[in-house]
Amino acid sequence: MAKAASGRSRRVHHTENLDLLPVMNLFCCIIPFLLLSASFLQVTIIQMSQTEGIGAAGSGAVANLARSEEDRLQPKVILTDEEMFIGTVAGTAHVCYSFTQSVDGVETLTYDFDSLRTKAEEVYRLLTDAYPMIDFHKVTILTVEETRYDNIVAAIDACAEAGFDQPGLQVAPTASVERATEAAMSR
Amino acid sequence: MILVSAPTKRHLPLLLGYNKSKASVRGGKKKVEVQLTSMIDMFTILIVFLLESFSADGQIVTLSDALTLPKSRTQTPVNLRLEIQVTNRVIVVDGDPVVAVDADLLSTGNAIPAVVTRLRDHMEYGRRLRGTINEEDTEINIQGDVAVPAILLQRVMASCSEAGYATQSLEVIKLEGGGTGNG
Repeated sequence: MAKAASGRSRRVHHTENLDLLPVMNLFCCIIPFLLLSASFLQVTIIQMSQTEGIGAAGSGAVANLARSEEDRLQPKVILTDEEMFIGTVAGTAHVCYSFTQSVDGVETLTYDFDSLRTKAEEVYRLLTDAYPMIDFHKVTILTVEETRYDNIVAAIDACAEAGFDQPGLQVAPTASVERATEAAMSR
Repeated sequence: MILVSAPTKRHLPLLLGYNKSKASVRGGKKKVEVQLTSMIDMFTILIVFLLESFSADGQIVTLSDALTLPKSRTQTPVNLRLEIQVTNRVIVVDGDPVVAVDADLLSTGNAIPAVVTRLRDHMEYGRRLRGTINEEDTEINIQGDVAVPAILLQRVMASCSEAGYATQSLEVIKLEGGGTGNG
């Protein structure tokens, strides 16, 4: 481009300014609408299964047999005040000891649910290898009376990640749970 | 005695308009434009975040301030069903407080008669209203506080079963990402 003899360009460079006001107006309309319809807490559900008996949804004798076999073989996660166990008909294994943690300034009892997930995955693998015809989903959470609800949900969660996604709940007095666990461990 | 001094010379130029550049004086009344780019950037980020949490369904369950739901990684969406709220103080069925929780209530593991009666009434009302009971009418959602003991939860579930609500679901807060559900 030709330059003036003085070396200065006579062309005036204009920077076009975009009119951002309509965009701002649009944003100001969208943001209140989105704020009103946003849900920051999403509520989901855990469907509990009946812990005893054979469901009526079974189709045919073979399905019922497999279902009853699944019921017989389904693992139990046992939560006592001191320990957590996982057990099947083959035996019961220790998972972890309970420990206290502070939640909102309150000391509460909790467990290592990562260990439970690892053990549950192991049990799931063993069961599916031993009984390839059965599709294992059920698990029973057997707890003592004082176990907190969040611990039950965390145990259900750990089992669901391992493949046992149909949880049931059984609550028994502390003494009977401990007796049952001791009996299973001595097998 | 307080001496009030006259305004110093340092302040005068601002009041009298000294030190104005010649260019600004020549320009006269120029339109001042606000720089909106940074605000647009901020709004864009805000809109992306809000779109992420946008829910077309809206919140179909009402969470009570009196309870804190546990967190879980389950993905099953909640349906609009009859709700029981269980806290360490009271059991609420469909918005009505039914039973106050005390030491006696936590001593046994059977169904709670008052809750069973209230649930049966609700089911009977639904049957009379529609003339029949379908599978959805036998479903119930339980909202339990994180600190509720297992025995209370079991009693509520036993009450639901006895009243004919065979499908019981526990409402939880969906946990995003890889956090732990415990606490």
